[in-house]
Amino acid sequence: MSRRRQESLYTKKLWDENPSEIPLKKSRKRAVVLVTAILFAFGVITLRLIGLMVIDHDKLSERAEQQYIREQTLQPQRGVIWDRKMREMAANLEVESLYAVPLKIKDTRHLSRKLAPLIKISSKKLNKTLLKKKQKEFIWLERKMDKAGARKVAEMKDRFSYGGLGFLSEAKRYYPKGYTASHLMGFTNIDNVGISGLELHYDDYLKGEVSSVSVNRDARGRSLSGGIKDPVPGNNLVLTIDEGIQYIVERELAGVMKERKAKAAVAIMMDPATGEILAMANRPTYDPNHAGTFESSARRNRAITDLFEPGSTLKAVLAAAALEERVVALNEVFDVSKGFIVVGGKPVRDVHKSEKLTFQEVMQRSSNVGAVQIGLKLGSSNYYKYLRGFGFGEKSGIDYPGEVKGILRGIDQWSGTSIAALSIGQEIGVTPLQVLRAYAAIANRGAVMKPYIVSDIISPSGEVIKRVSPEIERQVVSAETAETVTDILKMVVEEEGTARKAYIKGNLVAGKTGTAQVFDHKAGRYSRKKFVSSFVGFVPADNPKLALIVVVYEPEGSAYGGVVAAPVFKSIIEHTLAYMDVPMERHENQILLVSETR
Amino acid sequence: MMIYTKNTRNMVLSVLALVSIGTLMVYSSTALMSMRKYGSGFHYLWSHLFTVCAGAVAMVAMAKLDYRRVRPFIYVLLGISLVMLLLVFVPGIGISANGARRWLKLWPTTFQPSELVKIVMVIFLADYMDRNINRMKDIRFGILIPVGVMLFFQAIIIQQPDFGAVMSLGVLTICLLILGGARIIHIGGLVLFSLPVIYVLLTSSTYRMKRLMCFVDPWKEPFDCGFQLVQSFIAFGKGSLFGVGLGGSRQKLYFLPEVHTDFIFSLIGEELGLIGVVVVIGLFIFFFKKGMDVASKTDDPFSYFLTFGLTMMICIQAIINFSVSTGLMPTKGLPLPFISYGGSALLVNLAAVGILVSISMKNDNTETNAVRYGEVDMSLNNYMRRQR
Repeated sequence: MSRRRQESLYTKKLWDENPSEIPLKKSRKRAVVLVTAILFAFGVITLRLIGLMVIDHDKLSERAEQQYIREQTLQPQRGVIWDRKMREMAANLEVESLYAVPLKIKDTRHLSRKLAPLIKISSKKLNKTLLKKKQKEFIWLERKMDKAGARKVAEMKDRFSYGGLGFLSEAKRYYPKGYTASHLMGFTNIDNVGISGLELHYDDYLKGEVSSVSVNRDARGRSLSGGIKDPVPGNNLVLTIDEGIQYIVERELAGVMKERKAKAAVAIMMDPATGEILAMANRPTYDPNHAGTFESSARRNRAITDLFEPGSTLKAVLAAAALEERVVALNEVFDVSKGFIVVGGKPVRDVHKSEKLTFQEVMQRSSNVGAVQIGLKLGSSNYYKYLRGFGFGEKSGIDYPGEVKGILRGIDQWSGTSIAALSIGQEIGVTPLQVLRAYAAIANRGAVMKPYIVSDIISPSGEVIKRVSPEIERQVVSAETAETVTDILKMVVEEEGTARKAYIKGNLVAGKTGTAQVFDHKAGRYSRKKFVSSFVGFVPADNPKLALIVVVYEPEGSAYGGVVAAPVFKSIIEHTLAYMDVPMERHENQILLVSETR
Repeated sequence: MMIYTKNTRNMVLSVLALVSIGTLMVYSSTALMSMRKYGSGFHYLWSHLFTVCAGAVAMVAMAKLDYRRVRPFIYVLLGISLVMLLLVFVPGIGISANGARRWLKLWPTTFQPSELVKIVMVIFLADYMDRNINRMKDIRFGILIPVGVMLFFQAIIIQQPDFGAVMSLGVLTICLLILGGARIIHIGGLVLFSLPVIYVLLTSSTYRMKRLMCFVDPWKEPFDCGFQLVQSFIAFGKGSLFGVGLGGSRQKLYFLPEVHTDFIFSLIGEELGLIGVVVVIGLFIFFFKKGMDVASKTDDPFSYFLTFGLTMMICIQAIINFSVSTGLMPTKGLPLPFISYGGSALLVNLAAVGILVSISMKNDNTETNAVRYGEVDMSLNNYMRRQR
């Protein structure tokens, strides 16, 4: 600043060097009021602070604790399910779930309109939900989204910079084989709780332990304390199922369904010596990865839960009982020339008329008239005893939920025609598994086994928690009787038998056809159009390794078990033997089963 | 040679104490946030210390300067403030954060012009009232002109929006007009007239209305707009008498928004307890008292108004900040002078202290000189006291 300018500043007298005393006196008076006001304000604030910090201390501290600690549940990994060769049948996938914090969402209308098309609900409904739960801190919008969907939502979230939306990683149950063995697997609900199939039956083993811990957290939900206990993963299951065989069975069933336009079809394969289920398949079927989109009828495991009248397949049980009780001799001759037999006022007819048949031929040709005669010789109480003995009218005890025990009336409820009806496999409701189990008992030298699907339960660390060993329920007939019945069953698939279509080159099959009419409850009589065709048997006949039942419900056209079910049986067994590396050599009555020593 | 008295020294010491507490609390509140954001716990602290140093330089500069020399440039200062305020709205120069445009890019840091407006307004009013001291009873000079200037600035600031600055500017102006000799009836009329305006402003926007409702009962929506206030209450409540200990706050873990700026007082409450907050309030009262002491010794109206105005400027902001964090006033973003993180306010407030020191030293030197040269009649007692 120049000297001149400095001087001019002072000479201009911008302020009075001798201020008047009067206005300032007044100002100083007023200042007292202002000072008082300021001090008063400080005083009020101090009182307020005492109120907050001393009087409300307890209440506010409690409130503070509430918001610092959050109960957190950590979901465990659900156990994995493997087939007998340790192929993954059920596993877990990390997927994204979308949640909202409604109280952080400002414009619910806009968000709903943009978000709704991406998560498949109407924008109106979404908006309503968000408004209704406005005070909530957390609601799920869409659980376990697929990757593409989650990405779309994330992109939209970034574009409109929505607060109040977020993703959480969750484990989703995943079935890598899809349709294969879907009925066995069952499925879980959105919270990974098993609700059908093995998932349900072994839920306690599979689910693991949720760890619930109180975590200190900051306002952004980050946990502050380090040592959080990890949840305990579920145990893993090893199945007796062989995915390769299962696939063959599924494929063949699909084939017969298409070819015969059947209503449903079931096939079960079992190791007769142990009771291990090697495959179990149903048609119609479903994909457990999207279980909710299928009808419940498609999700039913008919092999265990559905009853049918077995028809002729039950004649093997009759034969075994008659032989064991020694009421017939192998070469005893039965006169079936009339073509029908009347029992209790009702006739039973044969399909193919014959003259005289030996006991063996009755079985081979599946003569109804002959069977009734055998039944009459055996007597009701004896027959009933063996029916129960082979496992009819009781649950097999398989480790699968929803098994039914079937319908086998007590002997006191039998009518005059019952023995005749039962001799040809009517008046009895059985599951496919029960029939297979009875045949497996014949294959297994008369020992009835308990069927099972899970062989081992393995802890997450790899140790075996539970190993299931084969369990003999009872010896229903002697080994000799069983062998004799096996010989008879072998003849069924030979030239004169009813199941020539099940004949397999090089490997001798023992088996029996069954064709049962479906009882029409509306009409009160057996339907003439609806049948259940079945074939049950085992192979190799002299040293049985595989027992298989094929049941086809209501096929169109020919209904005979020998025509419909037997080819499926043959096809499954042939492919299975090839799969198991059993050479198919033409060799007289000689079974060449090299591998598979279990 | 300039000498200073105990009074001046004590005022500076009280400010120094507040700044120290502030620095400590800024570090306490930002360490974790800084760690997560920048990987080092000291980012905000260094930035704050830089501002403190800059503020100290500004303070010393202002103390050395004869504050009266500012007077001829007051309209220039008003003009500069106005331009800076408007520049905030220019994209590229102005910076917006959290939905508000309040800052100017000023390499290497940012500056908040509304803080400058406060101090310039005080200087302007002191100058204006001094020159029109005999006309203050006239409604034109006592009310219309100064309030007009105030409203002009408020109208710009409210666009940013910065309600805290608008409010403190309003209260400050009215206090100074009372002091300047405007008729009480005029001021009363002004307040009465502004009430419906404030009412319309509040009810015209549902957002502001909601904020008000949340102020009335923050517990009604403790997760929505009541969140900040509820968290502030919790912080105080946890503090109790002695606090949870320095650095022990958990409210600062993102529960309490703006913990290092507008709600740092709540953090002091939580960590240092009632003792801590009473000490802080006590220091402000002490500072206020020292400011009033300086005012009482000035004998020209400009110095008097300026001293009073600057002291009030700082204390009114402190009171508003305290009231907001304790729920006595609706939530307004306003930093706590000397303590909060935030460069512009700290810089301006320390500069204001520098002016106060300058005034105080002028008083001291006038008195000392007067005594020394016998020009002014000084009481012997005063002289004796100073000798001791």
